[in-house]
Amino acid sequence: MNADEWLRAFAAELRQRRVRDDDARHVVAEAATHLRDGGGDPAVVFGLPGRYAAAIAESIGATPPPVPAAPGPVRLHARGITKRYGRRTVLRDAGLTVRAGQIAAIVGANGCGKSTFLRICAGLISPDAGEVTVTGRLGYCPQQGGTADFLLPDEHFVLVGAGGGLARGPARRAGRAAARKLGWDAPGDVLTRHLSGGTRQKLNLTMSTLTEPDVLLLDEPYQGFDRGTYVDFWDQLGRLRDAGRAIVVVTHLLNQLDRVDLVLDLTPAGGTVRDGDAGWGGRA
Amino acid sequence: MNRMLTVAEMTLRELLRRRGVLALMLLLPLTFYLIRRDAYVGQSVRSLMLGISWAVSTAALFATSAARELEPRLRLAGYGPRHLYLGRMLGLWAAGLAIALPFFLLVVFDAPNLRYGGVAAGMLCCVAIAPPLGMLIGALLPRELEGTLLLLVIVTVQMLIDPAGTGAKLTPFWSSREITTWAVDHTDGGYLARGSVHGVLVTVGMVLAVAAVFSVRLRRRRHLRHLPVG
Repeated sequence: MNADEWLRAFAAELRQRRVRDDDARHVVAEAATHLRDGGGDPAVVFGLPGRYAAAIAESIGATPPPVPAAPGPVRLHARGITKRYGRRTVLRDAGLTVRAGQIAAIVGANGCGKSTFLRICAGLISPDAGEVTVTGRLGYCPQQGGTADFLLPDEHFVLVGAGGGLARGPARRAGRAAARKLGWDAPGDVLTRHLSGGTRQKLNLTMSTLTEPDVLLLDEPYQGFDRGTYVDFWDQLGRLRDAGRAIVVVTHLLNQLDRVDLVLDLTPAGGTVRDGDAGWGGRA
Repeated sequence: MNRMLTVAEMTLRELLRRRGVLALMLLLPLTFYLIRRDAYVGQSVRSLMLGISWAVSTAALFATSAARELEPRLRLAGYGPRHLYLGRMLGLWAAGLAIALPFFLLVVFDAPNLRYGGVAAGMLCCVAIAPPLGMLIGALLPRELEGTLLLLVIVTVQMLIDPAGTGAKLTPFWSSREITTWAVDHTDGGYLARGSVHGVLVTVGMVLAVAAVFSVRLRRRRHLRHLPVG
Protein backbone atom coordinates (compact mmCIF):
# COMPACT_ATOMS: atom_id res chain seq x y z
CA MET A 1 0.00 0.00 0.00
CA ASN A 2 1.57 3.31 -1.03
CA ALA A 3 1.25 6.54 0.94
CA ASP A 4 -1.76 7.86 -1.03
CA GLU A 5 -3.67 4.61 -0.66
CA TRP A 6 -2.85 4.43 3.02
CA LEU A 7 -4.01 8.02 3.60
CA ARG A 8 -7.23 7.36 1.73
CA ALA A 9 -7.94 4.23 3.74
CA PHE A 10 -7.04 6.09 6.92
CA ALA A 11 -9.45 8.95 6.09
CA ALA A 12 -12.19 6.43 5.37
CA GLU A 13 -11.58 4.65 8.67
CA LEU A 14 -11.78 7.96 10.52
CA ARG A 15 -15.10 8.71 8.85
CA GLN A 16 -16.39 5.28 9.73
CA ARG A 17 -15.48 5.95 13.37
CA ARG A 18 -17.35 9.25 13.15
CA VAL A 19 -14.34 11.43 13.92
CA ARG A 20 -15.41 15.02 13.33
CA ASP A 21 -14.69 16.20 9.78
CA ASP A 22 -12.39 19.04 10.85
CA ASP A 23 -10.43 16.78 13.21
CA ALA A 24 -10.15 14.07 10.55
CA ARG A 25 -8.86 16.52 7.93
CA HIS A 26 -6.34 17.85 10.40
CA VAL A 27 -5.08 14.38 11.38
CA VAL A 28 -4.84 13.18 7.78
CA ALA A 29 -2.96 16.34 6.78
CA GLU A 30 -0.53 15.81 9.64
CA ALA A 31 0.06 12.21 8.64
CA ALA A 32 0.57 13.24 5.01
CA THR A 33 3.13 15.87 6.03
CA HIS A 34 4.90 13.36 8.21
CA LEU A 35 5.10 10.81 5.39
CA ARG A 36 6.22 13.42 2.87
CA ASP A 37 8.96 14.81 5.09
CA GLY A 38 10.10 11.59 6.73
CA GLY A 39 9.33 9.05 4.02
CA GLY A 40 9.02 5.37 4.85
CA ASP A 41 6.29 2.80 4.52
CA PRO A 42 3.13 4.22 6.17
CA ALA A 43 2.20 0.74 7.42
CA VAL A 44 5.50 0.69 9.29
CA VAL A 45 5.40 4.33 10.41
CA PHE A 46 1.77 4.38 11.59
CA GLY A 47 0.59 0.78 11.40
CA LEU A 48 -2.62 -0.41 9.74
CA PRO A 49 -5.04 2.42 8.83
CA GLY A 50 -7.86 0.88 10.85
CA ARG A 51 -5.81 0.50 14.02
CA TYR A 52 -4.33 3.97 13.80
CA ALA A 53 -7.78 5.45 13.13
CA ALA A 54 -9.18 3.56 16.12
CA ALA A 55 -6.43 4.99 18.32
CA ILE A 56 -7.08 8.51 17.03
CA ALA A 57 -10.83 8.15 17.53
CA GLU A 58 -10.30 7.00 21.10
CA SER A 59 -7.96 9.87 21.90
CA ILE A 60 -9.91 12.77 20.34
CA GLY A 61 -13.43 11.41 20.52
CA ALA A 62 -16.11 11.06 17.89
CA THR A 63 -19.42 12.66 17.07
CA PRO A 64 -22.34 10.86 18.64
CA PRO A 65 -24.32 8.75 16.20
CA PRO A 66 -27.34 10.60 14.87
CA VAL A 67 -30.59 9.82 16.52
CA PRO A 68 -32.49 7.94 13.89
CA ALA A 69 -35.82 9.26 12.81
CA ALA A 70 -38.74 6.91 13.08
CA PRO A 71 -39.17 4.88 9.92
CA GLY A 72 -41.41 6.64 7.42
CA PRO A 73 -44.20 5.31 5.25
CA VAL A 74 -43.88 2.04 3.36
CA ARG A 75 -42.00 2.52 0.09
CA LEU A 76 -41.54 -1.08 -1.05
CA HIS A 77 -43.90 -3.92 -0.28
CA ALA A 78 -43.28 -7.31 -1.87
CA ARG A 79 -45.41 -10.27 -0.87
CA GLY A 80 -45.90 -13.87 -1.90
CA ILE A 81 -43.07 -13.77 -4.44
CA THR A 82 -42.59 -17.17 -6.04
CA LYS A 83 -40.31 -17.79 -8.99
CA ARG A 84 -39.54 -21.03 -10.81
CA TYR A 85 -36.99 -21.73 -13.50
CA GLY A 86 -38.25 -24.92 -15.08
CA ARG A 87 -38.86 -27.40 -12.29
CA ARG A 88 -36.62 -25.58 -9.88
CA THR A 89 -38.31 -23.21 -7.46
CA VAL A 90 -35.90 -20.41 -6.71
CA LEU A 91 -38.17 -18.30 -4.54
CA ARG A 92 -41.15 -19.50 -2.57
CA ASP A 93 -43.56 -17.03 -1.00
CA ALA A 94 -40.84 -14.47 -0.24
CA GLY A 95 -41.77 -11.03 1.02
CA LEU A 96 -40.22 -7.81 2.20
CA THR A 97 -41.50 -4.46 3.41
CA VAL A 98 -39.15 -1.49 3.50
CA ARG A 99 -40.07 1.94 4.79
CA ALA A 100 -38.63 5.34 3.98
CA GLY A 101 -35.42 5.75 5.98
CA GLN A 102 -34.60 2.05 6.16
CA ILE A 103 -31.89 -0.14 4.66
CA ALA A 104 -32.76 -3.78 4.06
CA ALA A 105 -30.18 -6.43 3.22
CA ILE A 106 -30.99 -9.52 1.19
CA VAL A 107 -28.64 -12.34 2.12
CA GLY A 108 -28.33 -16.02 1.38
CA ALA A 109 -26.20 -18.63 -0.32
CA ASN A 110 -25.24 -18.51 -3.98
CA GLY A 111 -28.17 -19.32 -6.22
CA CYS A 112 -30.82 -18.82 -3.56
CA GLY A 113 -32.56 -16.12 -5.61
CA LYS A 114 -31.26 -12.85 -4.14
CA SER A 115 -30.72 -11.16 -7.50
CA THR A 116 -33.91 -12.69 -8.87
CA PHE A 117 -35.89 -11.24 -5.96
CA LEU A 118 -34.35 -7.81 -6.56
CA ARG A 119 -35.03 -7.95 -10.31
CA ILE A 120 -38.64 -8.88 -9.59
CA CYS A 121 -38.89 -5.89 -7.23
CA ALA A 122 -37.43 -3.70 -10.00
CA GLY A 123 -39.96 -5.06 -12.50
CA LEU A 124 -37.28 -6.45 -14.77
CA ILE A 125 -38.63 -10.00 -14.63
CA SER A 126 -42.02 -11.38 -13.70
CA PRO A 127 -42.64 -13.74 -10.80
CA ASP A 128 -44.83 -16.81 -11.10
CA ALA A 129 -46.82 -15.50 -8.16
CA GLY A 130 -46.84 -12.48 -5.88
CA GLU A 131 -46.92 -8.74 -6.25
CA VAL A 132 -44.78 -5.73 -5.52
CA THR A 133 -45.92 -2.22 -4.68
CA VAL A 134 -43.44 0.63 -5.02
CA THR A 135 -44.24 4.11 -3.79
CA GLY A 136 -42.28 6.79 -5.61
CA ARG A 137 -39.44 6.64 -8.07
CA LEU A 138 -37.40 3.47 -8.39
CA GLY A 139 -33.63 3.19 -8.91
CA TYR A 140 -31.74 -0.01 -9.68
CA CYS A 141 -28.03 -0.86 -9.79
CA PRO A 142 -27.16 -4.22 -11.35
CA GLN A 143 -24.37 -6.48 -10.19
CA GLN A 144 -22.49 -5.85 -13.41
CA GLY A 145 -23.15 -4.42 -16.86
CA GLY A 146 -25.64 -1.65 -17.26
CA THR A 147 -23.11 0.79 -18.71
CA ALA A 148 -22.07 1.57 -22.27
CA ASP A 149 -18.43 0.85 -23.10
CA PHE A 150 -18.01 3.63 -25.64
CA LEU A 151 -19.61 6.46 -23.68
CA LEU A 152 -17.92 8.79 -21.20
CA PRO A 153 -19.10 8.89 -17.57
CA ASP A 154 -20.55 12.36 -18.20
CA GLU A 155 -22.55 11.02 -21.12
CA HIS A 156 -24.00 8.32 -18.89
CA PHE A 157 -25.11 11.05 -16.48
CA VAL A 158 -26.71 13.00 -19.35
CA LEU A 159 -28.43 9.87 -20.66
CA VAL A 160 -29.87 8.86 -17.29
CA GLY A 161 -30.67 12.45 -16.36
CA ALA A 162 -32.64 13.02 -19.58
CA GLY A 163 -34.94 10.16 -18.57
CA GLY A 164 -35.88 12.08 -15.45
CA GLY A 165 -36.19 15.39 -17.31
CA LEU A 166 -32.82 16.77 -16.18
CA ALA A 167 -31.01 19.13 -18.54
CA ARG A 168 -27.44 18.27 -19.55
CA GLY A 169 -25.59 20.66 -17.26
CA PRO A 170 -27.48 19.77 -14.08
CA ALA A 171 -27.29 16.03 -14.94
CA ARG A 172 -23.50 16.23 -15.34
CA ARG A 173 -23.13 18.21 -12.12
CA ALA A 174 -25.42 15.86 -10.20
CA GLY A 175 -23.53 12.84 -11.52
CA ARG A 176 -20.14 14.24 -10.62
CA ALA A 177 -21.34 15.26 -7.16
CA ALA A 178 -22.76 11.77 -6.53
CA ALA A 179 -19.50 10.23 -7.80
CA ARG A 180 -17.45 12.38 -5.42
CA LYS A 181 -19.42 11.00 -2.50
CA LEU A 182 -17.95 7.62 -3.44
CA GLY A 183 -14.48 9.15 -3.49
CA TRP A 184 -14.42 9.21 -7.31
CA ASP A 185 -13.70 12.24 -9.46
CA ALA A 186 -15.45 11.21 -12.66
CA PRO A 187 -13.01 11.99 -15.48
CA GLY A 188 -14.33 13.96 -18.43
CA ASP A 189 -12.38 12.17 -21.15
CA VAL A 190 -12.03 8.47 -20.27
CA LEU A 191 -14.29 5.98 -21.99
CA THR A 192 -16.12 3.57 -19.71
CA ARG A 193 -14.35 0.60 -21.27
CA HIS A 194 -11.06 1.98 -19.97
CA LEU A 195 -12.33 2.23 -16.37
CA SER A 196 -11.33 -0.46 -13.89
CA GLY A 197 -14.00 -2.89 -12.72
CA GLY A 198 -14.41 -1.10 -9.39
CA THR A 199 -14.62 2.34 -11.00
CA ARG A 200 -17.17 1.07 -13.47
CA GLN A 201 -19.26 -0.07 -10.53
CA LYS A 202 -18.96 3.41 -9.03
CA LEU A 203 -20.37 4.73 -12.30
CA ASN A 204 -23.12 2.13 -12.12
CA LEU A 205 -23.99 3.14 -8.58
CA THR A 206 -23.85 6.83 -9.41
CA MET A 207 -26.27 6.29 -12.28
CA SER A 208 -28.76 4.59 -10.00
CA THR A 209 -28.81 7.47 -7.51
CA LEU A 210 -28.74 10.30 -10.08
CA THR A 211 -32.49 10.75 -10.38
CA GLU A 212 -32.93 10.71 -6.60
CA PRO A 213 -35.11 7.61 -6.40
CA ASP A 214 -37.34 7.02 -3.41
CA VAL A 215 -36.60 3.30 -3.53
CA LEU A 216 -33.07 2.18 -4.35
CA LEU A 217 -32.37 -1.44 -5.26
CA LEU A 218 -28.68 -2.41 -5.26
CA ASP A 219 -27.47 -5.82 -6.42
CA GLU A 220 -24.03 -6.29 -4.84
CA PRO A 221 -22.91 -2.97 -6.26
CA TYR A 222 -19.52 -2.97 -4.56
CA GLN A 223 -17.79 -5.56 -6.77
CA GLY A 224 -14.18 -4.44 -7.21
CA PHE A 225 -14.37 -1.63 -4.65
CA ASP A 226 -11.24 -1.03 -2.62
CA ARG A 227 -11.60 -0.77 1.16
CA GLY A 228 -11.88 3.02 1.22
CA THR A 229 -14.56 3.08 -1.45
CA TYR A 230 -16.40 0.29 0.32
CA VAL A 231 -16.56 2.42 3.47
CA ASP A 232 -17.58 5.44 1.36
CA PHE A 233 -20.32 3.30 -0.15
CA TRP A 234 -21.88 2.49 3.21
CA ASP A 235 -21.47 6.09 4.31
CA GLN A 236 -23.34 7.16 1.20
CA LEU A 237 -26.09 4.64 1.92
CA GLY A 238 -26.33 6.07 5.42
CA ARG A 239 -26.79 9.57 4.02
CA LEU A 240 -29.44 8.36 1.60
CA ARG A 241 -31.26 6.57 4.41
CA ASP A 242 -31.11 9.68 6.55
CA ALA A 243 -32.59 11.57 3.60
CA GLY A 244 -35.59 9.24 3.72
CA ARG A 245 -34.77 6.80 0.95
CA ALA A 246 -35.76 3.14 1.20
CA ILE A 247 -32.78 1.00 0.22
CA VAL A 248 -32.46 -2.70 -0.50
CA VAL A 249 -28.97 -4.19 -0.86
CA VAL A 250 -28.12 -7.70 -1.97
CA THR A 251 -25.00 -8.61 -0.05
CA HIS A 252 -22.69 -11.49 0.74
CA LEU A 253 -20.70 -9.50 3.26
CA LEU A 254 -22.31 -10.33 6.54
CA ASN A 255 -20.03 -8.04 8.53
CA GLN A 256 -21.97 -5.12 7.13
CA LEU A 257 -25.27 -6.29 8.49
CA ASP A 258 -24.78 -4.12 11.56
CA ARG A 259 -25.42 -1.20 9.24
CA VAL A 260 -28.85 -2.27 8.08
CA ASP A 261 -32.29 -2.15 9.59
CA LEU A 262 -33.78 -5.31 8.10
CA VAL A 263 -32.38 -8.58 6.85
CA LEU A 264 -34.17 -10.87 4.41
CA ASP A 265 -32.49 -14.27 4.49
CA LEU A 266 -33.36 -16.21 1.34
CA THR A 267 -31.44 -19.32 2.29
CA PRO A 268 -33.93 -22.14 1.59
CA ALA A 269 -34.04 -23.18 5.24
CA GLY A 270 -34.22 -19.54 6.29
CA GLY A 271 -36.62 -17.40 4.28
CA THR A 272 -37.09 -15.02 7.15
CA VAL A 273 -37.09 -11.30 7.72
CA ARG A 274 -35.42 -10.08 10.87
CA ASP A 275 -34.23 -6.77 12.25
CA GLY A 276 -30.67 -5.66 11.61
CA ASP A 277 -28.23 -5.47 14.46
CA ALA A 278 -28.62 -1.72 14.58
CA GLY A 279 -25.00 -0.94 15.31
CA TRP A 280 -25.00 1.83 12.75
CA GLY A 281 -28.35 3.48 12.73
CA GLY A 282 -29.23 2.54 16.30
CA ARG A 283 -32.38 0.78 15.22
CA ALA A 284 -33.22 -2.67 16.52
CA MET B 1 -38.62 14.29 -27.83
CA ASN B 2 -35.55 15.27 -25.82
CA ARG B 3 -35.26 11.72 -24.48
CA MET B 4 -35.46 10.25 -27.96
CA LEU B 5 -32.86 12.65 -29.32
CA THR B 6 -30.56 11.94 -26.38
CA VAL B 7 -30.68 8.21 -27.14
CA ALA B 8 -30.06 8.95 -30.84
CA GLU B 9 -27.10 11.15 -29.97
CA MET B 10 -25.55 8.55 -27.67
CA THR B 11 -26.04 5.83 -30.28
CA LEU B 12 -24.17 7.96 -32.80
CA ARG B 13 -21.43 8.84 -30.33
CA GLU B 14 -20.86 5.18 -29.49
CA LEU B 15 -20.67 4.24 -33.16
CA LEU B 16 -18.39 7.10 -34.15
CA ARG B 17 -15.92 6.15 -31.42
CA ARG B 18 -15.55 2.64 -32.82
CA ARG B 19 -13.19 3.61 -35.59
CA GLY B 20 -12.34 0.03 -36.52
CA VAL B 21 -16.04 -0.74 -36.92
CA LEU B 22 -16.54 2.39 -39.00
CA ALA B 23 -13.65 1.44 -41.28
CA LEU B 24 -15.10 -2.03 -41.79
CA MET B 25 -18.56 -0.56 -42.39
CA LEU B 26 -17.04 1.42 -45.24
CA LEU B 27 -14.85 -1.41 -46.46
CA LEU B 28 -17.75 -3.85 -46.82
CA PRO B 29 -19.77 -1.89 -49.41
CA LEU B 30 -16.58 -0.78 -51.13
CA THR B 31 -15.52 -4.40 -51.58
CA PHE B 32 -18.95 -5.28 -52.94
CA TYR B 33 -18.65 -2.41 -55.40
CA LEU B 34 -15.09 -3.05 -56.56
CA ILE B 35 -15.21 -6.85 -56.83
CA ARG B 36 -17.22 -6.72 -60.09
CA ARG B 37 -16.19 -3.25 -61.21
CA ASP B 38 -14.23 -4.52 -64.23
CA ALA B 39 -17.43 -5.98 -65.68
CA TYR B 40 -20.88 -4.37 -65.90
CA VAL B 41 -21.13 -1.31 -63.65
CA GLY B 42 -24.82 -1.90 -63.02
CA GLN B 43 -24.03 -5.14 -61.22
CA SER B 44 -21.45 -3.28 -59.11
CA VAL B 45 -24.06 -0.74 -58.06
CA ARG B 46 -26.54 -3.48 -57.15
CA SER B 47 -23.86 -5.21 -55.09
CA LEU B 48 -23.00 -1.91 -53.44
CA MET B 49 -26.60 -1.63 -52.24
CA LEU B 50 -26.35 -5.03 -50.65
CA GLY B 51 -23.06 -4.09 -49.01
CA ILE B 52 -24.56 -0.94 -47.49
CA SER B 53 -27.59 -2.90 -46.27
CA TRP B 54 -25.41 -5.55 -44.68
CA ALA B 55 -23.04 -3.09 -43.02
CA VAL B 56 -25.79 -0.94 -41.51
CA SER B 57 -27.96 -3.83 -40.36
CA THR B 58 -24.95 -5.49 -38.71
CA ALA B 59 -24.15 -2.24 -36.89
CA ALA B 60 -27.79 -2.08 -35.76
CA LEU B 61 -27.70 -5.67 -34.56
CA PHE B 62 -24.62 -5.11 -32.43
CA ALA B 63 -25.83 -1.75 -31.11
CA THR B 64 -29.05 -3.43 -29.98
CA SER B 65 -27.21 -6.31 -28.32
CA ALA B 66 -24.82 -3.92 -26.56
CA ALA B 67 -27.72 -1.90 -25.15
CA ARG B 68 -29.59 -4.93 -23.80
CA GLU B 69 -28.32 -4.48 -20.22
CA LEU B 70 -28.57 -0.70 -20.27
CA GLU B 71 -32.11 -0.34 -21.58
CA PRO B 72 -34.02 -1.78 -18.59
CA ARG B 73 -32.34 0.70 -16.25
CA LEU B 74 -33.04 3.55 -18.66
CA ARG B 75 -36.64 2.41 -18.59
CA LEU B 76 -36.56 2.78 -14.79
CA ALA B 77 -34.91 6.19 -15.18
CA GLY B 78 -37.99 7.48 -16.98
CA TYR B 79 -37.68 6.41 -20.62
CA GLY B 80 -40.59 4.82 -22.43
CA PRO B 81 -39.95 1.93 -24.85
CA ARG B 82 -40.58 4.23 -27.82
CA HIS B 83 -37.90 6.67 -26.66
CA LEU B 84 -35.42 3.83 -26.64
CA TYR B 85 -36.16 2.07 -29.92
CA LEU B 86 -37.00 5.18 -31.94
CA GLY B 87 -34.00 7.05 -30.52
CA ARG B 88 -31.67 4.20 -31.40
CA MET B 89 -33.22 3.90 -34.83
CA LEU B 90 -32.82 7.64 -35.44
CA GLY B 91 -29.14 7.41 -34.56
CA LEU B 92 -28.66 4.41 -36.83
CA TRP B 93 -30.53 6.07 -39.69
CA ALA B 94 -28.19 9.04 -39.38
CA ALA B 95 -25.17 6.72 -39.32
CA GLY B 96 -26.54 4.86 -42.36
CA LEU B 97 -26.89 8.11 -44.30
CA ALA B 98 -23.33 9.05 -43.38
CA ILE B 99 -22.12 5.65 -44.65
CA ALA B 100 -24.15 5.83 -47.87
CA LEU B 101 -23.23 9.39 -48.87
CA PRO B 102 -19.59 8.75 -49.91
CA PHE B 103 -20.71 5.73 -51.94
CA PHE B 104 -23.33 7.81 -53.72
CA LEU B 105 -20.60 10.29 -54.65
CA LEU B 106 -18.38 7.40 -55.74
CA VAL B 107 -21.10 6.16 -58.12
CA VAL B 108 -21.74 9.66 -59.44
CA PHE B 109 -18.09 10.17 -60.31
CA ASP B 110 -17.22 6.60 -61.30
CA ALA B 111 -20.25 5.31 -63.19
CA PRO B 112 -21.54 7.44 -66.08
CA ASN B 113 -24.99 7.50 -67.63
CA LEU B 114 -27.03 6.28 -64.67
CA ARG B 115 -30.24 7.65 -63.21
CA TYR B 116 -28.56 9.07 -60.11
CA GLY B 117 -31.85 9.95 -58.47
CA GLY B 118 -32.68 6.26 -58.65
CA VAL B 119 -29.31 5.33 -57.15
CA ALA B 120 -30.01 7.73 -54.27
CA ALA B 121 -33.51 6.31 -53.81
CA GLY B 122 -32.14 2.76 -53.76
CA MET B 123 -29.61 3.73 -51.12
CA LEU B 124 -32.32 5.44 -49.08
CA CYS B 125 -34.31 2.20 -49.09
CA CYS B 126 -31.25 0.31 -47.82
CA VAL B 127 -30.60 2.89 -45.11
CA ALA B 128 -34.27 3.01 -44.08
CA ILE B 129 -34.73 -0.76 -43.80
CA ALA B 130 -31.34 -1.91 -42.44
CA PRO B 131 -31.54 -0.36 -38.91
CA PRO B 132 -34.97 -1.76 -37.98
CA LEU B 133 -34.01 -5.11 -39.51
CA GLY B 134 -30.81 -5.31 -37.43
CA MET B 135 -32.62 -4.09 -34.33
CA LEU B 136 -35.40 -6.63 -34.79
CA ILE B 137 -32.92 -9.49 -35.03
CA GLY B 138 -30.95 -8.11 -32.08
CA ALA B 139 -34.11 -7.87 -29.98
CA LEU B 140 -35.35 -11.35 -30.87
CA LEU B 141 -32.01 -13.15 -30.56
CA PRO B 142 -30.20 -12.11 -27.39
CA ARG B 143 -26.83 -13.57 -28.42
CA GLU B 144 -24.78 -11.79 -31.05
CA LEU B 145 -23.52 -14.94 -32.77
CA GLU B 146 -27.03 -16.23 -33.48
CA GLY B 147 -28.09 -12.79 -34.68
CA THR B 148 -25.10 -12.45 -36.97
CA LEU B 149 -25.72 -15.87 -38.50
CA LEU B 150 -29.39 -15.09 -39.10
CA LEU B 151 -28.43 -11.82 -40.76
CA LEU B 152 -25.97 -13.73 -42.92
CA VAL B 153 -28.76 -16.09 -43.99
CA ILE B 154 -31.00 -13.16 -44.93
CA VAL B 155 -28.31 -11.39 -46.92
CA THR B 156 -27.28 -14.62 -48.67
CA VAL B 157 -30.86 -15.32 -49.68
CA GLN B 158 -31.18 -11.73 -50.86
CA MET B 159 -28.01 -12.11 -52.92
CA LEU B 160 -28.79 -15.45 -54.55
CA ILE B 161 -32.56 -15.48 -55.03
CA ASP B 162 -34.01 -14.87 -58.48
CA PRO B 163 -35.18 -11.23 -58.30
CA ALA B 164 -38.00 -11.90 -60.76
CA GLY B 165 -39.45 -14.73 -58.64
CA THR B 166 -42.29 -14.27 -56.18
CA GLY B 167 -40.13 -15.24 -53.23
CA ALA B 168 -37.77 -12.33 -53.88
CA LYS B 169 -40.52 -9.91 -52.87
CA LEU B 170 -40.39 -11.38 -49.38
CA THR B 171 -36.76 -10.42 -48.94
CA PRO B 172 -36.24 -7.11 -47.12
CA PHE B 173 -34.07 -5.33 -49.66
CA TRP B 174 -35.91 -6.26 -52.85
CA SER B 175 -37.00 -2.62 -53.13
CA SER B 176 -33.47 -1.31 -53.52
CA ARG B 177 -32.75 -3.94 -56.18
CA GLU B 178 -35.82 -2.93 -58.22
CA ILE B 179 -35.07 0.78 -57.94
CA THR B 180 -31.39 0.23 -58.75
CA THR B 181 -32.35 -1.82 -61.82
CA TRP B 182 -34.43 1.15 -62.95
CA ALA B 183 -31.45 3.44 -62.29
CA VAL B 184 -28.71 1.41 -63.98
CA ASP B 185 -30.55 -0.53 -66.72
CA HIS B 186 -32.91 2.31 -67.67
CA THR B 187 -35.92 0.01 -67.42
CA ASP B 188 -39.53 1.22 -67.38
CA GLY B 189 -41.04 3.12 -64.48
CA GLY B 190 -42.73 0.02 -63.12
CA TYR B 191 -39.49 -0.98 -61.44
CA LEU B 192 -39.29 2.35 -59.65
CA ALA B 193 -42.94 2.25 -58.59
CA ARG B 194 -42.83 -1.36 -57.37
CA GLY B 195 -39.56 -0.76 -55.56
CA SER B 196 -40.78 2.41 -53.89
CA VAL B 197 -43.99 0.82 -52.64
CA HIS B 198 -42.07 -2.22 -51.39
CA GLY B 199 -39.50 -0.02 -49.66
CA VAL B 200 -42.13 2.02 -47.84
CA LEU B 201 -44.14 -1.04 -46.82
CA VAL B 202 -41.10 -2.97 -45.57
CA THR B 203 -39.78 0.06 -43.67
CA VAL B 204 -43.12 0.66 -41.96
CA GLY B 205 -43.53 -3.05 -41.27
CA MET B 206 -40.07 -3.34 -39.78
CA VAL B 207 -40.53 -0.29 -37.57
CA LEU B 208 -43.87 -1.63 -36.33
CA ALA B 209 -42.30 -5.04 -35.64
CA VAL B 210 -39.47 -3.40 -33.69
CA ALA B 211 -42.04 -1.34 -31.77
CA ALA B 212 -44.00 -4.47 -30.90
CA VAL B 213 -40.96 -6.48 -29.76
CA PHE B 214 -39.47 -3.64 -27.70
CA SER B 215 -42.82 -2.79 -26.14
CA VAL B 216 -43.17 -6.37 -24.96
CA ARG B 217 -39.56 -6.73 -23.83
CA LEU B 218 -39.53 -3.42 -21.93
CA ARG B 219 -43.14 -3.59 -20.76
CA ARG B 220 -44.26 -2.61 -17.30
CA ARG B 221 -44.77 -5.91 -15.51
CA ARG B 222 -48.19 -6.63 -14.13
CA HIS B 223 -46.98 -7.74 -10.72
CA LEU B 224 -45.43 -4.31 -10.07
CA ARG B 225 -47.71 -1.51 -8.93
CA HIS B 226 -46.41 2.06 -8.78
CA LEU B 227 -47.94 4.55 -6.38
CA PRO B 228 -47.09 8.23 -6.20
CA VAL B 229 -45.38 9.60 -3.10
CA GLY B 230 -47.90 11.46 -1.17
